[in-house]
Amino acid sequence: MGSSGLTLRYPLAMSPLALIFLIIGVPALTGLIYVFVRGSAGLRRYILARIALTVPMVLILGTLVFLILRVIPGDPVSSALGPKGSPETVARLKEQLGLNDPLAVQYAHFLGSIVTFDFGNSLTGGHRPIIDEMSERFPATLELVTPAAILALVIGVFGGAWAASRRKRTTDYSMRIYSVVIYSLPIFWLGLMFQLLFGLRLHWLPIASRIDGVAGTTLHHITNIYSLDALLTGNWVALKSVLLHMVLPTLTLGLVLSGVFVRLTRINVIETMQQDYIEAARARGIHERVVVYGHALKNAMIPVITLIGLQVAILLAGAVLTETVFSWPGMGSYLVERISSRDYTAVQSVIVMFAMFVALISLAVDIVYSLVDPRVRY
Amino acid sequence: MTTETRPDYEQEWRENLEKVGIVRRMLSGRKWFGVDWWLVAISAVMVLAFIIIGIFPGWFAPYSPDIPVGPGFLAPGASPALPVLVSLSTSGITELSDLETPSGAPRPEVGVVKGVPTAQALNEQARELNSQLSGTGKELRPRIVRFDTLEEALQGVVDGTVLAAVVQSNEYEAVAGDFPTVVEGKSVTGGTASQGGFILGTNRIGQDVFSRLIWGTRIALIVGFSASLVALFLGVPIGLFAGFVGGKLDRFIGVIMDSLYSFPGLILAIAITAVLGPSVLNVIVAIAVLYIPTYYRIVRGQTLSVKEETYIEAARSIGARRREILTKYIYPNVIPSVAIIFSVNVADAILTGAGLSFLGLGLPPDIADWGIDIAQGRLVIQSAWWLITFPGLAIMMVVLAFTMMGEGLMEIFNPKLRER
Repeated sequence: MGSSGLTLRYPLAMSPLALIFLIIGVPALTGLIYVFVRGSAGLRRYILARIALTVPMVLILGTLVFLILRVIPGDPVSSALGPKGSPETVARLKEQLGLNDPLAVQYAHFLGSIVTFDFGNSLTGGHRPIIDEMSERFPATLELVTPAAILALVIGVFGGAWAASRRKRTTDYSMRIYSVVIYSLPIFWLGLMFQLLFGLRLHWLPIASRIDGVAGTTLHHITNIYSLDALLTGNWVALKSVLLHMVLPTLTLGLVLSGVFVRLTRINVIETMQQDYIEAARARGIHERVVVYGHALKNAMIPVITLIGLQVAILLAGAVLTETVFSWPGMGSYLVERISSRDYTAVQSVIVMFAMFVALISLAVDIVYSLVDPRVRY
Repeated sequence: MTTETRPDYEQEWRENLEKVGIVRRMLSGRKWFGVDWWLVAISAVMVLAFIIIGIFPGWFAPYSPDIPVGPGFLAPGASPALPVLVSLSTSGITELSDLETPSGAPRPEVGVVKGVPTAQALNEQARELNSQLSGTGKELRPRIVRFDTLEEALQGVVDGTVLAAVVQSNEYEAVAGDFPTVVEGKSVTGGTASQGGFILGTNRIGQDVFSRLIWGTRIALIVGFSASLVALFLGVPIGLFAGFVGGKLDRFIGVIMDSLYSFPGLILAIAITAVLGPSVLNVIVAIAVLYIPTYYRIVRGQTLSVKEETYIEAARSIGARRREILTKYIYPNVIPSVAIIFSVNVADAILTGAGLSFLGLGLPPDIADWGIDIAQGRLVIQSAWWLITFPGLAIMMVVLAFTMMGEGLMEIFNPKLRER
């Protein structure tokens, strides 16, 4: 069966990055505007203040990275060219990159690049615009991180509630030991072990890249989220290949993250279980399972959501290592590649992109939180 | 005598105390925390063991971590292949010196297999023995005959084409049963086959994996402890100050710290180490920066809540100065939670450090480090599973010890989790 029948024939000739912003951003923005218009004055004030706080966050991180890469001793250009670079070449490249300008001018350029999304061209490898390279890489990271986060969430929330409902019993201790052991695993090592076991010994699953070579040539790249592209074009062969390739990286990242989630959920459910209304529910003769999963877990989820939002940092740091292990062409492996080729313009841009991603996620989490829990707004 | 002047009850108490062992004393402690207590106890023993290994790696490591001590890619427990002399059981030849001949006599023919490094070993040893024989009227100059396969060489020994053969011991053992008249003599290089292998195998260039694991403990602990200590010494005062002073300055510091805290630490550490270049100190600096907000947050929060306590108000009303309140009243109350955070922090720093060196950043590549070992083992993951498995387990055990200690302490000391 071919993929020609259902092909959308590139209805949208735009960069994958812009498309993804459309897919995620438009519903999010619509929701935000709806909440903003219909919400109370307090909610409106909170959302405005929270959005205003996002800007300095990105700015601070950007400035920090700028300072690290410019002020710390070490010359990016001569180290990029290596011993081969003659003093003239070094000087020319420095001039070209604007490294001879005063620090303030460089900083202004840098801020401008954040606002306009124009990060310049990469120093090596074809000298393509960095934003083009990132728009190919970012969807890959999204495709890895999203299912991993969902997996971690499912294991974490139910495992944590289960442990809390059997406090100080074998279940509780096994779940706690699970979370501590999982937390102690180096994520890159877990990935390598999975490769060794499921890929090289059992030959069940592929261990590298996002798709088979053959299936990859038949896939139309629309959003660059391969599974979505395969679904949209009805390319089932490619979809199967993509899903198979996703199993090990997702499992690695999701499992490691689940340890933290189990711990957070357990502590919060235990705290909630000590509230008076739980006692009251028990006194009314409600089944213990309903008390735990209906009453306690539901109320404990409010702080858990915020805490889980904070774990985006762990998720992305894990993604860098997971992508490297599984040769997954996402933002993390892009960062590592650019670091080893000493392309500091690209490195700086990737880190700023990461900062924006983190800031947006935490903004989204906080706004959802304020909707769920009215106490926050005031 | 001084003991006679003491009251009787003290004497009695001392005698009673002598009767109780340390275990009984611990068990009759006022509070029993069950499994959590055991988690802390077990992990404390583990932490202590790792610290001892980290300080004195030489006591535990059988070999040096930097010097090749055996053949490359030797599997765990496998004995290294030795070039052994094999000959007919009737010939009586068991070692190289049995091949001595009077000067001028026909040279004895010795078989080797093509493409196997035994010929070189044979040549070198024969030349050395020969030089010792000069002037005695004897010589040791075997003529080397090359065979295509091991079976052909052994058949040659059986047929009498060659007097003896020098073959790899491990390959010989696999086919020895097919040639019952051939016996295994001594190794031409001197070692015996029963010398034993390397418990966790060897890496590409023949370094002992186990010794590198032991020495890797040191660098992991150095990175973990130093980075957490630096972060502690910077984060705690900033947190105390911000919490105590409050106001605009507190908010300003807060925004910076929150941005740092929410950002993936590894990514920032990658940037810092990439610019600073590889060295242990740079890794410590890069990781320390990441953990300052951790201490800041916990200390600031504690300071804010302690500040409102009645005893602080009392101290203030009797005229205590601000510095006095900060150092004598607030600081001691904040320290216990800092100690717990520190334990978890060391674990985290070790993980981050390992991640950095796995990516080839941070540590110089000649250091015996677990992350570097895994990165190098990854290149040969198809053939040498032990090169990545054991360093990873080592990281896990050390991190587990510190995390478990922090986790157990947290459970014991967290007042919110106490049962009502």
